[in-house]
Amino acid sequence: MEVTEVTYATEFTEVFTTKAGAIYQCDNESCWYIDFAGKLARFDYRCLLKLNKAINVIDIEKRLLDSSSPDMEIIFICACDDTYVLTLTQIIAFKELLQGTFVMLELNNIICTRLYRTAV
Amino acid sequence: MKDIIRVQSLLSVGVEAAINQQIKKEAQSSSIYLAMASWCDRNGFDNSADYFFKQSEEERAHQLKFYKYVLDMGGTAISPEVTNIKIEYNSFREVFEDALEQEVSVTESIKAIAARCHKEQDYVTLEFLNWFFKEQREEEYKARRALELFDVIGEAGTGRWEIDHHVSKIKYDNE
Repeated sequence: MEVTEVTYATEFTEVFTTKAGAIYQCDNESCWYIDFAGKLARFDYRCLLKLNKAINVIDIEKRLLDSSSPDMEIIFICACDDTYVLTLTQIIAFKELLQGTFVMLELNNIICTRLYRTAV
Repeated sequence: MKDIIRVQSLLSVGVEAAINQQIKKEAQSSSIYLAMASWCDRNGFDNSADYFFKQSEEERAHQLKFYKYVLDMGGTAISPEVTNIKIEYNSFREVFEDALEQEVSVTESIKAIAARCHKEQDYVTLEFLNWFFKEQREEEYKARRALELFDVIGEAGTGRWEIDHHVSKIKYDNE
């Protein structure tokens, strides 16, 4: 019996890159891969939104001014496989990376709508 | 590159957050009306208590309508926490003043969501909100009319008994 193995090439499209990391989109899996803090983590739609929210709610200014608050933050996203333990500098870098990513995804939405979805 | 976010959900992050806020507001309204029903019942205004029980159920239905809309459109509906509900009122009139204030605040809140939808050209949500605008016409009318009874009938003598009697008859049938 002939066994045919079907493999899909996992193609990544770069969404946004900074010096600290990068976020790639995988169309085959409908998800994003985040290359940050020394690891590559997979995030689906809901987890990416939750991650963005978790990072955005951190009040960096308050943390910097408050000497009693720890310099580390554990980013745990419920129902997501990965957890981040980040310093304040990393959080600032992560925030920048995610902000850029969401701007690019919005831009992609505008392009897709204008090019393929609207009749006029 | 696929537009994954749009494929997953019709709602933008901002509109979804605004509707989730509204879900919380409707839940709060429902609880406030329940507290009003309790106060009216405790103070012998049985018809008004029934009126507020009905109002509470309506607000709960509104909350679920928003809730299901978010889910149907691919978003994440958040079950809200409701706290700090006022349980004591200084007077019978104050209950109705608060009820009107509550309805005005709900209308304004829905208007703010509609303004956001206009800005984002989210005409689907805008059309969904139209039902609520029509509903708010009725809700504000009823709350305003109830308060009007205090001026028309007056609270002296058996006035409050009369008001309580007429509250159950308030109807809005102007489509």
